[in-house]
Amino acid sequence: MEAAISSILFYLFAAIAVLSAFGVVASRNPVTSAMCMALSFASTAAVLFGMGAQFLGIVQIIVYAGAILVLFLFVVMMLDVKSEESTLSRLPRAILGVVVAGVFAGMVTKAALLLPGATDNKCPVLSLFCDDYCATTTAQTPAEPAYGGPLPELKEATDKENSGTKALGETLFTQYSLPFAILSFALLAGTVGAVALGRKIRKD
Amino acid sequence: MEHNTLASILAQGSMIAECDGGVWFYLITTILKLVLVFAVILAFVVLSVWIERRVAGWIQDRPGPNRAGIPLHLFQRFGSKEKQPCKKLLHFFGVPEDCWIAKLFRWLRLDREIPTFGLMQPCLDGAKLFLKQELTPSYVRKWYFTLAPMLVLGPPLVAAAVIPFSSGFDTCWGEVNMSVANLGVGPLWIFAISGLSVYGLTLAGWASNSKYPFLGGLRATAQLISYEVAMGLSIIPLLMMFGTLNLQNIVQFQADNGWTILPLWGEGLTWERWFMMVPMLISFVVFVTCVFAEANRTPFDMAECETDLVGGYHSEYSSMKFASFFMGEYAAMVIGSALVVTLFLGGWSIGFGADAALHAWCDWFAAICQFLMFLIKLVAFIFFFVWVRWTLPRFRWDQVMKLGWLVFLEITVANIFLTAAIIYFIN
Repeated sequence: MEAAISSILFYLFAAIAVLSAFGVVASRNPVTSAMCMALSFASTAAVLFGMGAQFLGIVQIIVYAGAILVLFLFVVMMLDVKSEESTLSRLPRAILGVVVAGVFAGMVTKAALLLPGATDNKCPVLSLFCDDYCATTTAQTPAEPAYGGPLPELKEATDKENSGTKALGETLFTQYSLPFAILSFALLAGTVGAVALGRKIRKD
Repeated sequence: MEHNTLASILAQGSMIAECDGGVWFYLITTILKLVLVFAVILAFVVLSVWIERRVAGWIQDRPGPNRAGIPLHLFQRFGSKEKQPCKKLLHFFGVPEDCWIAKLFRWLRLDREIPTFGLMQPCLDGAKLFLKQELTPSYVRKWYFTLAPMLVLGPPLVAAAVIPFSSGFDTCWGEVNMSVANLGVGPLWIFAISGLSVYGLTLAGWASNSKYPFLGGLRATAQLISYEVAMGLSIIPLLMMFGTLNLQNIVQFQADNGWTILPLWGEGLTWERWFMMVPMLISFVVFVTCVFAEANRTPFDMAECETDLVGGYHSEYSSMKFASFFMGEYAAMVIGSALVVTLFLGGWSIGFGADAALHAWCDWFAAICQFLMFLIKLVAFIFFFVWVRWTLPRFRWDQVMKLGWLVFLEITVANIFLTAAIIYFIN
């Protein structure tokens, strides 16, 4: 019964996520696009919740739906965009879209294949948070180098109390501390750049 | 494989005992708890409106809503032949007119009505708002105009799911955990979900398609996002001390070791703990201020500041749609108070070692006492909320932004380092 309920909820939220993601592109009204995107984020968070990754789900809502998208909405409303203007004609635009989509799909596939359990016929994402799977594989496979190769597993992800928060933090701040710091600096550079640009506009 | 994982996830969410019918027991208790929490929140919304008006009257030296009693001439209509039943009653027992009992009765207005101390007023207000004409201006964006009040009222009610309102107890079918969803990310859940109500305010401002509501919506967005940052950072010292994100465990920790800002009992009563009081008190002040800002309450009600913006984001709303905004604000206040009580004031814990003693005696009785204690703390904190509202004047817009970004952000970050230093060097 639990499995049935969980499956129904998974397919429901996955369908909402995909449909609303389609709505983002299809909608003519920018505000509707932004709201569809919020719905898509929220249902992705629900899917993550269903897989036991509660921390990731909640961060998805706080960061994307709660902060970033609200700022999107803010800007869209302030500018009051009427209709999109395109500089490219139809065919080059279609080719560009296909290329970008193809590259992105390739990246996602590659990342999915690097997940633990992807190649031996098990659902890659589920195995991230499944203790019995981790118990069987970590005994056999030797430790991998930190960068490149298969992604590491969160072994304590099923600790009931913190629902993976501790394991995630430990992985992020030990094994991945350098990439994490570099990413933080990239974000900082972006923020500083935005402030610099904003100031320049105000002077004119 | 799939079944295995999903079962473990369900067990993780519910911590149900592994026995026959565990799932059904879990479902039934969850629905009961859901109804209870919903009823408590809505009752507290009504109650806090009443507290607001009574305390406002008290502070401004006027009676406040003290009428709306049940008039006695209703009973005169329905059967009773006596014109003043109360006077008749006094006469029957031989109480003279100038006796103190008769004076007390007159003071309580018992000779005219059955007093309700104005408690009926919010209910009558609700009825009035239901029956008022619903006026939707022709120039609004209809779909978002209707959606916005729902997005304001909904999130606080959902956020209440993780607040523990009593300790758990065992029954013969399994353990009952007295929060609707015993998540491992409790405080974050409340931040995330109540943060979503910003969509309601923004959309209300935009969909109204008029100047002042739009400015109100923009202000609300900017204010809520700014204070969310400081709010999230201000609880990190607490989480460092508790070592868990589960609200039920956080309250259990406080029941054992003393409340966060009142560590007077328990095994954690050491001088290290008193050192920890410094960052905890800083966190408390910052967090409470942020809760005020997040609930859009005076002195932070920039989004509906009458002197600048007519009515702010809800200028164009009427009838029940306006009431939804109104209720959403009070529900956010109730949830904010509940979160402050849970994180800083010990949640359901009675304190002074009484919890363990009660649990040793009877689990059920302990759970009921703790639930009542939680409600008492909640009312006390709501009173504090109202007290502040009628004491402090409203800030200016730039002051609000400066306080959020230039004061609180720095203080909270410094506070995290201070807590880390105390934990590292002293413990």
